Amino acid sequence: MNVHLSSTIQTSDGADGSIDVNAVSKSYGSVEVLSSVNLAIAAGTFVTLLGPSGCGKTTLLRLIAGFIEPTQGHIQINGVDVSGVPTQKRPIGMVFQNLALFPHFSVAENIAYGLKIKKVAADEIDRRVARFIGLVGLDGMGDRRISQLSGGQKQRVALARSLVLEPSILLLDEPLSALDMQLRRQLQIALKDIQRKLKTTFVFVTHDQEEATILSDTVVVMGDGKVQQVGTPQDIYSNPNNLFVSKFIGELNEIKGRVTASGRDLTLETEVGPLTLPASAAQGFTPRAGDEVVVCLRPEHLHVAAPDAPANGSVALAGQITDCLVSGPLTHMGIQTGRTILSSVMMTQAGNAALPSASPCKVLFDPAHARVFAPLSDRLAKAFGEQP
Amino acid sequence: MQKMSPLTRTLGICFLFLLPAPIFIVFVASFNGSAYIQFPPESYSFRWYVEALTDARWARAVGTSLWIAAVTASLVTVISFLAAYFTLRYAPRINTALELAIFSPLFFPHACMGVATVALMANFGIVGTPWAIILAHMMVVIPFSYRPIHIALRSVDPDLIRAAEVMGASELRALKDIILPMCRSGILTSLLFSGIISFDEVTVTMFLIGPDVTTLTVQIFTFIQDDASPVLAAISTISVVLTFIAIILLERVAGLSFFVQRSGS
Amino acid sequence: MNSGERVTFGKFLMLLPMLILLAMFFTSVVTLFSNAFVERGGFSFKYFQQIIDRPDYHVVFYRTVLSSILVAILAVLFSYPIALLLWRANTWRNMLLIVVLVPWLVSLVVRTYGWIIILGPKGFINAFLGWLGVIETPLKLMFNDIGIIIGLTHVLVPFAVISILSSLLSIEENLEEASRVLGASSLETFRRVVFPLSLPGVFTALMVLYLGSVGAIVTPLLLGGITEKFVGTQIHSEVMSSFNMSKAAAWSLCLLALSFVSLVIIKLIERRALRGQE
Repeated sequence: MNVHLSSTIQTSDGADGSIDVNAVSKSYGSVEVLSSVNLAIAAGTFVTLLGPSGCGKTTLLRLIAGFIEPTQGHIQINGVDVSGVPTQKRPIGMVFQNLALFPHFSVAENIAYGLKIKKVAADEIDRRVARFIGLVGLDGMGDRRISQLSGGQKQRVALARSLVLEPSILLLDEPLSALDMQLRRQLQIALKDIQRKLKTTFVFVTHDQEEATILSDTVVVMGDGKVQQVGTPQDIYSNPNNLFVSKFIGELNEIKGRVTASGRDLTLETEVGPLTLPASAAQGFTPRAGDEVVVCLRPEHLHVAAPDAPANGSVALAGQITDCLVSGPLTHMGIQTGRTILSSVMMTQAGNAALPSASPCKVLFDPAHARVFAPLSDRLAKAFGEQP
Repeated sequence: MQKMSPLTRTLGICFLFLLPAPIFIVFVASFNGSAYIQFPPESYSFRWYVEALTDARWARAVGTSLWIAAVTASLVTVISFLAAYFTLRYAPRINTALELAIFSPLFFPHACMGVATVALMANFGIVGTPWAIILAHMMVVIPFSYRPIHIALRSVDPDLIRAAEVMGASELRALKDIILPMCRSGILTSLLFSGIISFDEVTVTMFLIGPDVTTLTVQIFTFIQDDASPVLAAISTISVVLTFIAIILLERVAGLSFFVQRSGS
Repeated sequence: MNSGERVTFGKFLMLLPMLILLAMFFTSVVTLFSNAFVERGGFSFKYFQQIIDRPDYHVVFYRTVLSSILVAILAVLFSYPIALLLWRANTWRNMLLIVVLVPWLVSLVVRTYGWIIILGPKGFINAFLGWLGVIETPLKLMFNDIGIIIGLTHVLVPFAVISILSSLLSIEENLEEASRVLGASSLETFRRVVFPLSLPGVFTALMVLYLGSVGAIVTPLLLGGITEKFVGTQIHSEVMSSFNMSKAAAWSLCLLALSFVSLVIIKLIERRALRGQE
C-alpha cells in the first residue's frame, strides 16, 4: 500500500486526489476542537476518520470541504494550498450526513445540478446523468421525486450527485448512520465497489468501528481533537498505540493495576492478582514502579480451560465461570477472576458448550498478546462517557 | 377533539362574530341611499361608490397607499431575508441580540413611535414626502417581516446550500436555485403581511403626511373628523375589500398557520 | 446552522441594510430625548415640570392608564372563549381564523368608524332603542370613556385571540388526554392543565394590548372627542395643532417610561403566575 500516514509531518506525493493536512488547529473561542493535526492522504485510497462524537472528525472534514477555515495550519489538496479557496472552487464532492438532497428537484435534476452549474452541454448532461444513475443502481428512477424514494435510494442519489462531477476527492459525513443494519451492509459493499471502480479518494467519517474496518484501506482514529493513530484496520486492531485506540476498536478486557517492578519483565499488582508480563507489552511509554496502568486483553486471546489444564508457557489465572453463551460457532464466556469479570470468545467445541455457571476454571493467555497502557486522560475518558 | 361546554361554545361564537360586526355595518351603510349615514339604511343605492370613484382625491390616496405598501413590503422583505440568512449562516451568536433589536419597535407605543419618527424625518428634511412614510412603515413592519422569513429559513437544512456549493454553485446561485424556492411561503407571508400593515397603518402615518402626499387610511381619518359623509363608508369598504383580498391571497399562497405558531418552536 | 463559517466583508454587507434600519429606529428614539430636553438651544425640563404641576394633565395620564388596564383585561376576557372555540374547531379553524384576522388587519380607522355608526347619537343602538321606545333621548355612548373603552377593546381583541390560540395550540394533545385518563373532569382538566399552559399567551396578550391601548390615538380621538383626552390624543394635538415638538416629545417620553414600568410589572406578575411551570 502506498499510503504513509502518521502523526508526524509527512506529505503525500501531491498527486490528483491527495490531501495534506499540516499542523491544523481549529478553535471556537476558547474551545479547541482540533489541535495541531497532521495527516497525509494518498490519492485513490479509501480513508475513514473514526472516533466518538466530539472528537473533531467532522470538523476536519468541514475544513477540507472549506466550510470553515483553520485557526492555524493549512491544508493542501492535490498538492495545492487551499487556504482561502472557497468550497465551490475545491476539487471535492461531498455526501452529507442528512444527504441534503434538493427536495424540490427530481432524482435526475439533483444529479444534473452540478453539471448545469458547470455549463456542460445539455446532451452531455443527459448522457452523464444516465451513466451515473446506472452506476449507483437506480435505473429508471430519474423522474422520481426525492420524497418518493426509500432511505437506501436516497443515499444512492446523494452519491451519484457527487460523483457525476468526477471530483478527485469525495468526502462522506456518516452518510449511512440513519439506515438499518442490513441496508447499511448492502451500501457499504456498493460504496467500496464504486470506489475501486472510480479510483476516487474517499474520506469517510464514521463513529462505527466495524464500518471503518470493513470499508477502509486506512483508518484514522481520532480522539479529543487529535489523531490518535493511523494505519490499516488490521494494524490498528492488533497494535493499538494507546488505551483509547484499543478501547475504541473492538472488544476489550481492561484490567486495572499498578506496576510493582520494571526491568526486563514488568511485575504488576492487578485486579486479577499479580501478573508478570514482558516489558515489550508496554508500548509507547516506559512504565516505572508505582505507575497506574491498564492491562488490555482481547476476548479472543483468552482461553478458558479446566482448572487442572497445563499452562504451557501461558499466563494462567484461576477463575469461576459466571455465564456461558453459545452463538453458533462462537462461545462467549464471562469469568470472575479476582475482582473483575473477564470476557472470552472461543470457537465452540464439544465439551465447552455446556459449562455450568459457577464452575471453577482456568483462564490462559499468551503474554505476547497482553498490552499495557497508561490510563486514559480525563478528556479522553469523557469521550467514552466515563467519570474521570 | 374533545367537546367544549355549550356555554363556552355559545360565548365563543357570539364574541367571534362580534369582531367583524362594525366592519359589516360599515359595509351595509355604504349602500345607504340618503345624504347622511344610517344604519340600517332606509334606501339603498350605489351613489356613494360613484362619488368615491369619481373623486380624484380618493383615487390618488388609494394609489399612494398601494404603492407605498408595495415599496415598503418589498424593501423590508429583502432586508429581512438578507439579515436572517446572514445571521443563521454566519453569525448565529448575534441572533438573540439582533432579534431583540428587531422586535423592540413592538414594545413601543404607537403614539411615541409617531412622534419619534416625525422628529427623525424632520431632521432628514423629508416630512411630507412618500419616503418619510415608507421609512416609518419599514420600522413599524420589520418585526412582522423578519419573523416569517426567519422561521422559513431556519427550517431549511443548512447543508442544502453547502451541498450546492460543493457542486460548484456560487452562494448567490445556491440562494436562487435552492433557498429561495424553499422559503417561498415565508417570503410571500412577509410580503403580504407587511404590505397589509403598511396599507392600513394610520397612527404613525398621520404625523408624516404632507399637502402633496396622504394615504387612504389617514385621509379617511381626516374626513371622519371633518364631516361624516356616507362616502366614507364606501371608501372604507373599498379599503376593507383590498385588505380582505390580500388576506385571502395569503391564505392561498402560504396558509395562515404562521400566525398561530409559537416563536419558540 | 453551524457557527464559524468564514465571514468576509462582502458577506457582512447582507446585514448592513437591517443595521441601518435599526439604527434609524434607535436614532429616532434619541431624537425624542433631544427634542424633549432642549428648548431654544438650552437644556430644559419645562414640559416635564408642566406635567408634574398640572392636575388636568394628571387626569389624562390616569385616564389613559386605567382605561388601558381595563381594556387589556376586557379584551382577554372576550378573546379567551374565541380562542377556545378556534382551538377546538379543527376542521373549521382556518375559516374561523379569517374571521379573526380580517378585523385585526383592517385599518383601525375603519373599525372605529364602524363604532361611530353604532354608538353615535343617531347611531344604530340609539335608533334601535328609540324604535323600541325604551329611550326618548339618545344615550351618550360616544365622546366619553365608554366609547373609548368599547372601541379600544374591540380593536385589540383579535390580537389577543391569536396570542392565546398560539399558546393553546402548543399544548400537547396527549397532556389533556392524560389528565382525563387520570380521572379529572373536563372542568378540572381545564383548570389544572389547559388554563395554566395558556397563561404565556394570556400574558403576551395583556402586554401587547396594554401597549396598544396606552399608545392609541385614532380610537380615543374619534370616540372620545376633544374633551376626554388620552395621552395619545394630547400628543397628537401638540404636534398637529400646536406644532410644539418639544412638548410632544416630553409627553412621549413620559408615556414610554410609563409603558416600560407597566411592562416590568406585568412581567413580574407573569413570573409569579408561572412559577412552578417550565
